Amino acid sequence: MNDKDLLVCRCEEISDEEIREAIRQGARTITGIKRRTRAGMGLCQGRTCQRLVARILAEETGMKPEDIDPGTDRPPVKPVSFGVLGGVAND
Amino acid sequence: MSDVIVIGAGPAGLAGAIACAEFGLKVTVLDEFFRPGGRLLGQLYEEPSGNWWNGIKEAERLQQKTKDLAIDVRCGVSVFNLEKDELLWNVHTNAGSMKASYVLVATGSAEYPIPVPGWTLPGVMSIGAAQVMTNVHRVQVGKKGIIIGANILAFAILTELQLAGIQVDRIVLPEKSPISQEAGEPEEVLKSLLSAAHLAPSLLLRFGSVFMKNGLLRKIALNFYPKGGMKISGTPLQLRKAAMEIVGKKQVEGVRVVDITPNGATVPGSDKIYEADFVCIAGGLYPLTEITAVAGCPFQFVPELGGHIPVHSEWMETPLQGLFVAGNITGIEGGKIAMAQGTVAGLAIVKRSGKEAGSIDRLLQKSVDYVRDVRQHAPIQFNPGVDEGRQTMKELWVSKYGKEGKVIS
Repeated sequence: MNDKDLLVCRCEEISDEEIREAIRQGARTITGIKRRTRAGMGLCQGRTCQRLVARILAEETGMKPEDIDPGTDRPPVKPVSFGVLGGVAND
Repeated sequence: MSDVIVIGAGPAGLAGAIACAEFGLKVTVLDEFFRPGGRLLGQLYEEPSGNWWNGIKEAERLQQKTKDLAIDVRCGVSVFNLEKDELLWNVHTNAGSMKASYVLVATGSAEYPIPVPGWTLPGVMSIGAAQVMTNVHRVQVGKKGIIIGANILAFAILTELQLAGIQVDRIVLPEKSPISQEAGEPEEVLKSLLSAAHLAPSLLLRFGSVFMKNGLLRKIALNFYPKGGMKISGTPLQLRKAAMEIVGKKQVEGVRVVDITPNGATVPGSDKIYEADFVCIAGGLYPLTEITAVAGCPFQFVPELGGHIPVHSEWMETPLQGLFVAGNITGIEGGKIAMAQGTVAGLAIVKRSGKEAGSIDRLLQKSVDYVRDVRQHAPIQFNPGVDEGRQTMKELWVSKYGKEGKVIS
């Protein structure tokens, strides 16, 4: 397997190379990368890939880990049905 | 309505709930797993004293206490949002919304992944998943496995897999890269393992811990590190080998491994494929903080504690009135420390609620001291710099909010 095809965001199937390309296009935050690629927008909401994306961003740009914003967590942080979101309990 | 809602029924959450209920507060505990205990459920290891730490027993003990104190523990409930109206916290879950004056977030940690080519093949799992399947669900994860990543969590779970009769063929490092970072550098790995040398029944690691605080001796040790690895409870730990790829057509069939130099560079032409039917990736833990983030809690980056941490005091209080944190969400440490922190958070909630005005200050101080005491005697230190990390957070809090934890709202 080619390293370029290495999946980083497993939920949305976004590869290492796609994330680096987004950074080359100018993304400088986790949120910026998310907007360009959908990395972190899947079922796990970035629990798996967010920290990996941060490390790739640090590698590509030379940013320090403490200067990388962890991104904005938004509700729902766990997958729920529209029924629950609309106020109907128990699905 | 409850006075307190605790999110997470692990060691920190249960201990916090118990401390609150012991002083008469009405407590509800929520957890998304089907039984309480959190990561305690997976833990089974022998302590340096020779005693066995059985997490399931510990979880049952805590659960019995919650029953005795009439704490409402609800399992299978996922919290997806936390927000405050003028007075109360609103906890939104898949089983409806509920309100309380105080919320303790004890959501623990999640595992750091290390992407390796082939890591999406069936049969690849995080080391924690292997632990849960083995010790909680009693499912055999495979016949013969390889662990990628050498850290304390991996060793603890390795022993548990072996106790269950599952063969772990070897532990190798991930390939060194800006993503795997220290996990791919033999010297960094060796350094971190020395803080848990007693867990590794090998002469070099056990007796070496004294000598190998010295960097030069560490380098020498790695230069002479046996190619076959050194055994940790029967499984070779191969600090001079790195996993390049997990191979298999429809599921895991093996791992392609290369030799690496003491600083992690690969040796060309040294590839070998080792057969396996499952692979565990052990990348370590990071605090699971989403719920505090959506609640609006400020964060601080403290690498020794595992990354971005919700700002909190020694009383486990956040700057948001009525919001408390405890356990691994505040920094990666062991279950006993999580429990001690949970007690601090519970007692701090009792204090803020105005109950037990007389004795609570002394009890709270005692519980804060006890956390330090447990930390000093902890058999496992996930990060050797944890004390500094805790100090950083304490100083940050004092400089911003004052010593007694003056609360902003």
